[in-house]
Order: sequence, then C-alpha cells, then structure tokens
Amino acid sequence: MQGFLDIFDIYLLEAVVNGILLGGVLALLALGLNLIFGVIDVTWICYAELVMIGMYGMYYMVQVFGLPYWAAAPFAILLVAALGAALHYIVIAPLLTAPPINQLLATGGVLFILQSFATVAFGIDFRNLGIRLPVLAIGEMHFSYSRLLAFIAALVGMLAVYFFMTRTYTGTAIRAISQDRQIMSLMGLDTKRIYLITSALGGALAGLAACLLVLQYDVHPFVGLSFGPITFLICVLGGLGNFVGGFIAAFVFAEIISLGGLFSDLEWGYVLAFAFFIVMMFIRPAGLFARRS
Amino acid sequence: MLGHKATRLLVGLSAAIAVLGMAVAAEAQEKKIKIGVIYDLTGPLAGGGSELQYIGAKIMLDQYAKTGVEGYKVEAVYADAQSKPDVAINEAVRLIEQEKVNMLLGFFSSAQCVPVAARVEQLKNFMWITTCISSAVLADKNFKYVFRPQASGDQFGMMTMDFIAQNAKEKFGKEPKDLRVAIIHEDGAYGVDVSKGNEAGAKKAGFNVVMKEGYSATAPDLSALVTKLKRARPDVIFHTGYNPDITLFGRQAREQGLKFAALVGHGAGYGVYEKLKEGLGGDVNYVFNTDPISIWLANQKSMDPKLPPVIKMVGEEFDKAKPGVAIRSAHVGMAASNTYLFLTDVLPRAIKKYGGVDPDALRKAALEVDIPEGGTMLGFGVKFHGEGQQMAGQNERSFPVVIQYIDDKSYVVWPKSQAQREAVLPLPKGTTFSNQ
Repeated sequence: MQGFLDIFDIYLLEAVVNGILLGGVLALLALGLNLIFGVIDVTWICYAELVMIGMYGMYYMVQVFGLPYWAAAPFAILLVAALGAALHYIVIAPLLTAPPINQLLATGGVLFILQSFATVAFGIDFRNLGIRLPVLAIGEMHFSYSRLLAFIAALVGMLAVYFFMTRTYTGTAIRAISQDRQIMSLMGLDTKRIYLITSALGGALAGLAACLLVLQYDVHPFVGLSFGPITFLICVLGGLGNFVGGFIAAFVFAEIISLGGLFSDLEWGYVLAFAFFIVMMFIRPAGLFARRS
Repeated sequence: MLGHKATRLLVGLSAAIAVLGMAVAAEAQEKKIKIGVIYDLTGPLAGGGSELQYIGAKIMLDQYAKTGVEGYKVEAVYADAQSKPDVAINEAVRLIEQEKVNMLLGFFSSAQCVPVAARVEQLKNFMWITTCISSAVLADKNFKYVFRPQASGDQFGMMTMDFIAQNAKEKFGKEPKDLRVAIIHEDGAYGVDVSKGNEAGAKKAGFNVVMKEGYSATAPDLSALVTKLKRARPDVIFHTGYNPDITLFGRQAREQGLKFAALVGHGAGYGVYEKLKEGLGGDVNYVFNTDPISIWLANQKSMDPKLPPVIKMVGEEFDKAKPGVAIRSAHVGMAASNTYLFLTDVLPRAIKKYGGVDPDALRKAALEVDIPEGGTMLGFGVKFHGEGQQMAGQNERSFPVVIQYIDDKSYVVWPKSQAQREAVLPLPKGTTFSNQ
C-alpha cells in the first residue's frame, strides 16, 4: 500500500491533469485538420502554418492595434477562414482529381511560402501577446487557465462540428462528397461550393486554435514545426474523419507524453507516444476509432 | 600590303600587352580577403541570439571594409544557416568551393559547429568561431585550422556551479552538500556540453544533484519537466536552453507553481533580455545568466586604452540597427569583439609575417596570438591551445561571467574580480518563484 502511495502522489495526479489539458490543446489543433484531411480527403500539410498566421493576426490586433482580446479573436478566425478558402481555391481545386501526393507536395510548397512570408513580413523575433491569465491552484496542484480554455474550446468545438456534420444539410453534403466526388455533382450538389465551405470551416477551426495557442506560446515563423507532425498523427490515430476518435486520440497521445515524461526523461514521453502510434498502425491501420475503411 | 599587315600586328600586340598589363595591375589592386560569414538569420535560432551575433560581426566587418587591413580589402559574403545543421554545412562548403572565400567566420549553434568544423578542417580552410561554445567542437579533434576565442561550454557550467558554491553558506545558509540543485538543458550539443560542466562543477562543490534532464528545444510542452522539478524541490535550477523553450519553461513553471531560490541560465536565450522580458514579464527579475561579459559592462579602466572607443562605436552602430533596446545584448559584443580580434591581430600578422591570407598563413598567425587579460573588449586574454593538445584551437585565457538581471538592468556578479554588485540571492520573498 505504501508503495502504491509513494507512486500515486499528488504530482502524478498533476501530471495526469496536465496531460488532459495538453490533450485539449492537441484536440483543438486536430479539429480543423480532421475535417479537411479526414472527411474530404484533402491534404493540407501546411495546416499548422495557417495556425501560425492566425497567431500573428492575434498578436498584431491585440499588441499593435490595441484591440481587446475578445474582439480580436473573431477577426483572427475570419482571417484564417478566408485563408483556408483561398488555399482551396488557388491550390487545391486544380489538383482535386490529381493523385493525393500532388496535393501534399503543393501544400508543402505553401508551407514554405507561409514560413518565408512570415519571416519577411513579421521578422524572426518571438512575439508574445503579453496576456498572463491567472492560475488555478488546488492544494499543491496548479493548472493553467489558458489550457483550461483550450480544453473547453476543443470540447465545444468538437461537439459543434459533430452536430454540424450529422444534423445539417451542408454537413451531410460534406460527408457525402467524401464518399464519391463524381456522383454528388450528378445528384445536383454544387460540389465547388461545398469544398469551399469545408475549407473555410477548416480554416476557421485553425483560427480558433490560433486564438487559444497564442495565450500559451510565443509566435514566430516556425512555431508550426512544434505542432504540425503531432496534429497529423492524432487525426490518423483517431480514425480519419472521426471527430470523437480524434478528440480521444489527442488525450491518449498527451497522456503518454505527460506520464512517460514524468516516469522517465521528457524525451521518452515523445518516444513512447510515437512508438504507440506505430504499433497501433500495425494493429488498427484505420485508427483507434475507424469510421470507414 | 606587307606594311599594312605589320601595322595590324603591332596594334594587336600593343592591345594584348595593354590588356595583360591591366590584368596584372588589377590583380595588384585586388588584394583582398574574402570572409564567409555564417549565422542563423531565419529559423528559431535567429531570434534566440544568432541575429544579434550577426549584427555584431557585421558592424565590425563593415568598418574594416571601409579601411582594409594592411593593404588588403576586406569583403564579407554572408550566408544564412536557417537554424539547421545540414544547411550550415552546405553553406560552408558552398562559400569555400564556389565563392572561394579565404576563411569562414561566425556560427551560433554548437549543433552546426561540430560538423562544420570537421568539414572545414577536411577542406583545409580556416575557421574562426565567434560564438558556439560546445567543447565537442574541438575536444580531442586536434584540428589545425579551427580557432575559437570564445569560452567553452564546460567552462560555462563550471563557472555557475562555482558561483553558487562560493555563495552557498553565506546566501543560502547551507553547506554545499545540503544544497539541492537541478540541471536541465536542451538536448543538443550546446546544452549537453554545458550540463556536463554543471555536473562536474556540482561534483567538485559537493552539491546534492536532485535532478538532471535534457529535453528537445522544440518540445511543445514542458509541464512534465516542471512537475518533476516540483517533486525534486531544488534550491537552484541550472538551465541551458535556446528560445522559445526558455520562455515556455518559465511560463509553465509559473502556471504550475514551481518554487526555487535561484535560476541560473547559460547564455543563448538567456542572453536576449528583451525577449525574456516580453515572454516572462517581471518574472525575469533576479534571473542569472552566464556569458562572456557584455562589452558594455566590462571594466574599461583595466582594458587596453584603444578598445573603449571601439566599444562606443559598436554601441552606436547597434542602436542604429536596433533602436530602443533596453539592455544591449551580450551577443552583439561577443561577435564584434571576436571579429575585431581577428581583423586587428591575426589578419595583420598573417599578411605581414606570413605573406598572405591563405589558410596556413592565418593558422600560423592565430597560433602566435598572445594577448594578456584586459586585451579584448570581453575582458579576457587570448592564447590558443596548440597542436597536439586536447583542446587544440581553443582560447585558454577566455572565461565567462555571471550576470544578474535586476529591474531592467544587468550587473556582473561573478567572478568577484569583475563584479559590479552583490548578487541578490536567494530570490526575494514575494517574487513569483521564491521558495522562502
């Protein structure tokens, strides 16, 4: 019993809760990508760079133009939504019928364009919003409000997207178009419009993630490198297009990182998380909560 | 007809001689040293201090581009390593093989320095390192063409441990063996090397090392590291990192309620006060940093009298490049001083005594550098370990200093010979991280 208590200390509980909060951040990031990558089978390898542009948008509106945070957030979401729509219109639409590798390479190009654009336009300095939210203290445990906010946003966002996809005509059309691109236009659906709406929605979700991430991280042109690969892995692990699966996969991933980092070196947490992903790809290639084969 | 041909031949010959003569004259005029300069101007390391190093080196190179050195024109060719070791290697090779530079200068990141130094040595070119500190760059390599006036990473780690050891009893009221210390570091060549120095220093001082751990500088979350630190309850945290990992650590440490008595940083991100202040706000107050002394804090009275005007010039030029900076970063002076050392000591000797700027002439000139303490803007002297020695190419007279940020100013607090004020130790009651 004493041995159990020695291990199950207050810090273990703190690591578990911090893992859940990190899971909220990752789930929030995965939401928009799951919609694009998972549902309509379009690969935006530059997804994290759209988040980066949204973070810069927030920084400039709050720090430079003096807008309150809550007023700046909708503009940032709209900005990234517009970017998402533009990305589809300019880059993806001409490649819709091409092999997926072409989309991957083209959006890979956009990734470098956005990184270089940010370097030239905003400089290489790390920018900080300068907002320090209070800390929630429960006994010896302390938790970040900014992460709690991200967690709540991820939860609400996931439910909203889920209901949108299952209860609305547009949502049903988005799901239908992912099953057969050609047949839907024969059934009278304006596929171009649906793709554009989905891309704008994916962009808006990236914008939402940007609004909450900018409270926790400095923004710089390469901030996407820290999040991009993990976000893709979470979408795949949860089962492409499965929002609940993606949400849970984010928490599984985050808990492995957090607890692995607590019981061993921090780096081992990441090693274990990626090893878990590889093993799961052998066992369940379509993801933990596969929606479709 | 014959006369006409003879005239044409004469004109042709005259033209050929004239062209040849002009070429020779042009060659005589074109005596120059072409210096390849590599820093990170993009990528995460740029904002972590590399761009400031670039500015420092450029200020000095621009000055000597106007005057030349011993009849040689100074021409700098700049390249961006993009915070990537592979790009640094490719750029180094490109500058040597395509741009035909006579030497390379710069390098911020140790992860780049280690492979680039080996490649440059292989190509028998000359490399003058202004910044990166990892001992692994030179230790047991016996390089002939790579020189570093900068202090090495293990010296950084040993210096901070010595600083805390000498203050343990007086400031913390504890014997060194009772002082709990934690060593955390980014897991690249730079962080690992400094942490080795930390570990050796802790062993020498007899500290109780309660935790030692590395992490990736690009990790998106350090909360597990902070939780472990909370459990380990260190009095002093020795941290080596770049940015933004330092601000991420500081922010998560605050959010998770980590308490300690002192936080001691080791250069890189800790040397860029503006960014620390922006990311951590008032929590940066009383943080320590270890670096070669900022040229603007060095004791000018004990310095070679020709140096203070140069320091003034560097300050003025830096203010033009980056107006409105509260504390001029030590990074700028570091690169400026080490570049100045090359341009005023090594290069003139290579030209005058060894007849040019080829790698062997530069190498011989560098090996003869013998500058006493106070002979550089950074306060230390310069003499390089010679061939066959364990750290061949490393300046044996360099040393870092410990500074403390207090109310938007930085003060040298260690070693005592350079100290401008007493260190504030432990963290005052009421500050965010204070464990009192």
